[in-house]
Amino acid sequence: MSGASSGLIGRLEKELQQLWETPGDGTRIARVCTMNIEVVSPSTELLERYAPVIDEVTGSIPARAILAAIEPDSETNEITGAATGVASAENAAKICSERVTLACRGNAAAGAASAIEAFLLPELPTTLVWLGRVHETDPIFEDLANDANRIILDSEYTSVASVIQVASWARKQPNAPQIADLAWTRIATWQEMLARFFDDAATRDLAMKVTKIRIVQASESGARLGPEAALLLGWVGTRLGWKTARLAGAMRFKRPDGGTITVELGSVARPEGVAPHTLATVMVEAGDDAHAPALRGTIERELASGLAEREGTTVDADVVVWKLHREDGTDIEQRVRLRANKAAKWLERTLHRPAIDNAFTESVAFAESIIQDGLTVS
Amino acid sequence: MSTPSYLPPNPLRRGLIEDRTGDACALVIFGASGDLTKRKLMPAVYNLGVSRSLPSGFAVVGVARRELSNEQFRANMKEGVSQFSRRKPIDPAIWSDFERGLSYSPGTFDDPETYTRLRAHLEQLDIERGTRKNRLFYLAVSPADFETIVRNLKQAGLISDAAQERAGGPWTRVIVEKPFGHDLPSSQALNDVIATAFDESQVFRIDHYLGKETVQNLLVFRFANSLFEPIWNREHVDHVQITVAEEIGVEGRGHFYEQVGVTKDIVENHLMQLLCLTAMEPPISLSADAVRDEKVKVLRSLRRMERSMVRDGVVRGQYARGFVKGEEVPAYREEADVAKDSKTETFVAMKLAIDNWRWSGVPFYVRAGKRMARRVTEIAIQFKKVPHSLFNAPDGGISPNVLAVRVQPDEGISLRFTTKEPGNATVLRDVAMDFRYGTAFGSNTPEAYERLLLDAMRGDATLFTRRDEVEEQWSFIDPVFDAWKEQAVAPPTYGAGTWGPEQADDLLARDGRRWRKP
Repeated sequence: MSGASSGLIGRLEKELQQLWETPGDGTRIARVCTMNIEVVSPSTELLERYAPVIDEVTGSIPARAILAAIEPDSETNEITGAATGVASAENAAKICSERVTLACRGNAAAGAASAIEAFLLPELPTTLVWLGRVHETDPIFEDLANDANRIILDSEYTSVASVIQVASWARKQPNAPQIADLAWTRIATWQEMLARFFDDAATRDLAMKVTKIRIVQASESGARLGPEAALLLGWVGTRLGWKTARLAGAMRFKRPDGGTITVELGSVARPEGVAPHTLATVMVEAGDDAHAPALRGTIERELASGLAEREGTTVDADVVVWKLHREDGTDIEQRVRLRANKAAKWLERTLHRPAIDNAFTESVAFAESIIQDGLTVS
Repeated sequence: MSTPSYLPPNPLRRGLIEDRTGDACALVIFGASGDLTKRKLMPAVYNLGVSRSLPSGFAVVGVARRELSNEQFRANMKEGVSQFSRRKPIDPAIWSDFERGLSYSPGTFDDPETYTRLRAHLEQLDIERGTRKNRLFYLAVSPADFETIVRNLKQAGLISDAAQERAGGPWTRVIVEKPFGHDLPSSQALNDVIATAFDESQVFRIDHYLGKETVQNLLVFRFANSLFEPIWNREHVDHVQITVAEEIGVEGRGHFYEQVGVTKDIVENHLMQLLCLTAMEPPISLSADAVRDEKVKVLRSLRRMERSMVRDGVVRGQYARGFVKGEEVPAYREEADVAKDSKTETFVAMKLAIDNWRWSGVPFYVRAGKRMARRVTEIAIQFKKVPHSLFNAPDGGISPNVLAVRVQPDEGISLRFTTKEPGNATVLRDVAMDFRYGTAFGSNTPEAYERLLLDAMRGDATLFTRRDEVEEQWSFIDPVFDAWKEQAVAPPTYGAGTWGPEQADDLLARDGRRWRKP
């Protein structure tokens, strides 16, 4: 490491110490810190946009966040940085976190991992949030990932294939960091709501008799299948033991009993403010007769309904209508509100989830086989 | 021999991290016009709706004597939720859907017609709301009404068969609020009444202390950390102190408190449960019965109080006039509906012995009281002193290590240990490593009733008290009351805003120990 960068690190470490000193007498203020969060971005501009997300997360999870923009193609060769205290008084809980921001440019980017690691607090779990595309052979990624307990990616911004590759790489590492995908967290509520269709004793057996599933995402017609839709399909498929098969080159889904599942992928117009490929509707039919299903369950998201500002309520959380129709005439409908559709909330939620998630590992492989098929939505 | 029916698990629940919702059901609240429903139950149910934990097929039916229309009931409940919910204000999108599931069925509890109407109403809800014939009855009423309600529920055919439930048929569960009797015979009688209609697996006796995060964390803390369990025994622990202290007085419930006193109100249930979770052996699993089996073993190991032990090992007290947080407050006997010569105890301290391999010889000092210096519930494990002090200071300069689990307020865990003060001299100082839920997690923690109602809907009885637990608790407490009955004198008084009568300090001083001031 150059003298300039080690000097920078020394200065920032001192600034971090001063954040927790009482002005005047220098007494250290007691505080709590529960984790290190490393955030790596391919550009300063993306990092600046993401910094408020991290500040919001560390407003409820006391942590040391080290945000680094790595721009090896920059014409300048330097590492610059700043240390900031982040305080939140939300819910009357005074939480103080630290944010170190680094910019590693030009040849100095080679020392980025070393600079980031210099700020890690010992004995605390470390999560690496990698923004943008990821390659497990990238030495910076490799260095940071090897020391992290968990790596958080977003397959919407990299790809499901990259997530699989990183997961495969991680399994071979000595400390085997766990992989999480923000897209997977975003579909968690959908999974739970889908499971509800088959909770009842009267419908339980129908889970193994699904005849049709329709998944609609917010995108233009002909768009690629988004990671949320693919992961949801992968999750349903792996839970219910579906196999993929080919018929005249086209992908088919088969149940363990040999029955065929019709998979329909659709799209609806994406309202302003709604992220691309956001899940909009999931419909499932099940029964012995595909033409007269014993169960039809629908989960419809009122897209952008959460964007309407309502003072004091959960802003940015869309309303979902869950409907169950059974052949005996039972019709049940329930309106629930999804979690706030904000990047900070998804990251926070992911950080709160258990690190080991076998369902994710299984589903992501299934999802990849679907995506590789180049499926598009109609 | 017939093949037992078996309901396979929902394959979509396999490995699902998202919290499971409750099962589809109708929650029927007897005593729906009461304070508990408005202040605790309905806000809890609403918050479960906000957190997407309510099943899709769900309805709440209020039953009480007062004549109310559905609209009036909904308006009352909305007022309660607006006022007492931890999430404010009400989310209109959630409430509009939620209130469609609220209805009211007026009637007196002893009128069979009340139950006939209720049954018809529930059958209608099964169709309209998809409640799947599952019933969760909440008895938010006086125990005097239990028998009447239970008998009528049975006669009206509103209770399903537990064997059919196990095979996946519709279920019935009943949640019973404390007090579970006022002594062992009355508790047994109450349990017998419930048992005439309900299988024990259908009975959920609620102790809201068990729904608190910190109490649940006791199991995690003890059995998910290898650091503490090896020293959690007589070899390393000097003694244990459990404190349940309240600043408030009887708050207008003088009549109730005169019948109960702090021992029956707090010690017999909440405090005994804290004791069990502190002293129990590791359960073989986290299943409801595995955990409760271990708790019962602790209760059975408690050395029973003979009369002489009550005299020497139990101190009761009654608060006199004093100051709490700088404000003068009346004496217990000056409270409304309290006898001027009342002998009801508002404070009790006990020295308990657990006669088992792990705790033999380790005293458990427990105390509970009203109008004490501070509102605090904590469990403090005091470890033994170092065998030999190297340091020249009073008392060796070394205080014993204390691990304090703070149940409320400021939920958390702190560990006291000794360090050297910076400087050329060796001066020892006690410091505390402090973990607080609020600052470490900062989340909006669910209320105890939310967790407990959800568990009841899911059929998980781990955090509810089993019949044998309740009866063991009473069989331990009853001899204390028998001994007190023989004592003609009133309990000694203590100034409101203090930590209890002097005799309580003497209880520990005799053993060379003293109470913590948490």
